[in-house]
Amino acid sequence: MAELPFPLPDLGEGLIEATVLDWLVAEGDQVERNQPLVEVETTKSSLELPSPQSGKVLKLYGAPGDVIKVGEPLIVFEVPDDTAGIVGTVPSEEAPKRRVRLSANLDED
Amino acid sequence: MTMMTGRHEGPATHHTVEGTDPGLNVQVFEPESPAELPPVLLIHGFASSVALNWEQSGWIAALLDAGRRVIAVDLPGHGLSTAPEDVDSYSPSRIRADLLQIASDAGARPIAAGHPSSGLDVIGYSLGSRLAWEFGATQPAIVRRIVLGGPSPRDPLAEFDLVAAQRFLADGTPIEDESTATLVTMAQASPGSDMYALLSLVEAVKEEPFDAAEAVPRQPVLVVAGEKDERIEGLEALHALVPQAQVLVLPGRNHVNAVTARAFKQAAIAFLAEG
Repeated sequence: MAELPFPLPDLGEGLIEATVLDWLVAEGDQVERNQPLVEVETTKSSLELPSPQSGKVLKLYGAPGDVIKVGEPLIVFEVPDDTAGIVGTVPSEEAPKRRVRLSANLDED
Repeated sequence: MTMMTGRHEGPATHHTVEGTDPGLNVQVFEPESPAELPPVLLIHGFASSVALNWEQSGWIAALLDAGRRVIAVDLPGHGLSTAPEDVDSYSPSRIRADLLQIASDAGARPIAAGHPSSGLDVIGYSLGSRLAWEFGATQPAIVRRIVLGGPSPRDPLAEFDLVAAQRFLADGTPIEDESTATLVTMAQASPGSDMYALLSLVEAVKEEPFDAAEAVPRQPVLVVAGEKDERIEGLEALHALVPQAQVLVLPGRNHVNAVTARAFKQAAIAFLAEG
């Protein structure tokens, strides 16, 4: 068995940190890929982070209220040796791209 | 004569409403193991979206796990919906008409005794709960149960200082009214937000402000709010109008972070599973 750390992923939109709201798993739990791990809050919204993979939860970083920066450790999994080389990523769809208007054009009809 | 098939979900179709296509992004999610229960319509809040309010927060996954079919709609000018130029497209009455057509096109059918998957359950958050309240009150033949998250008996958008917001956006003049300033900050922080569309929505809401007493839902209602949500002061007034409602207050949560709370999802899913 090997230890596989999973850092707080890039949450997009220039966010650099998130606050832990509630852990949805505990150390020692066996989790499945995509199972919700933790609820976090950013300056913009609150969200659930799904597990990047299945495995046993060895360690959780951050109690509710703690701030974790993007890239800092969030959770450590125990996985079979042959999967430890795979770096975890959050399984999420590519964020939809859309036109962004930065300021209101108030003269527009 | 049309043959009765006993099926209470029709095939997906697409219609215009009042002669125009509302251009709203509709996403229908099918559960792997469908429960014998109506579909669930999700209505998000101001400056939010299906993605933010329901997907990234884990709601859609939780509802699918519970076997619920989910119909999620981005409000006009939000998420992947179009941002019409005319203010009328943003009026709450127009949005409610659009939602009815969307739900019907997605297969929701009027409540029919003996058909547990007939009807429509609705979950709304913030502005979405205002729309859910009115939608339930005006569509009792189709809406079966209602969950109102982060609701307010007043309409924070109706008291919005549009002129101050426009001045702030034009030259940065600080906004004096605290509620207006908070809403503008929220709108600016919202990923991909179209400020022009959001202000059009505010303008339309000011023309049709929420009057909770005007039309009151008679269905079973679950009200959920964070303990630290500043709108919680209005909860009693709202509850007085719907004495049948169950109320759940989430300890330590505010208007933003109540959305993801497990206790909220679990309570809503259990409430909407009742017959």
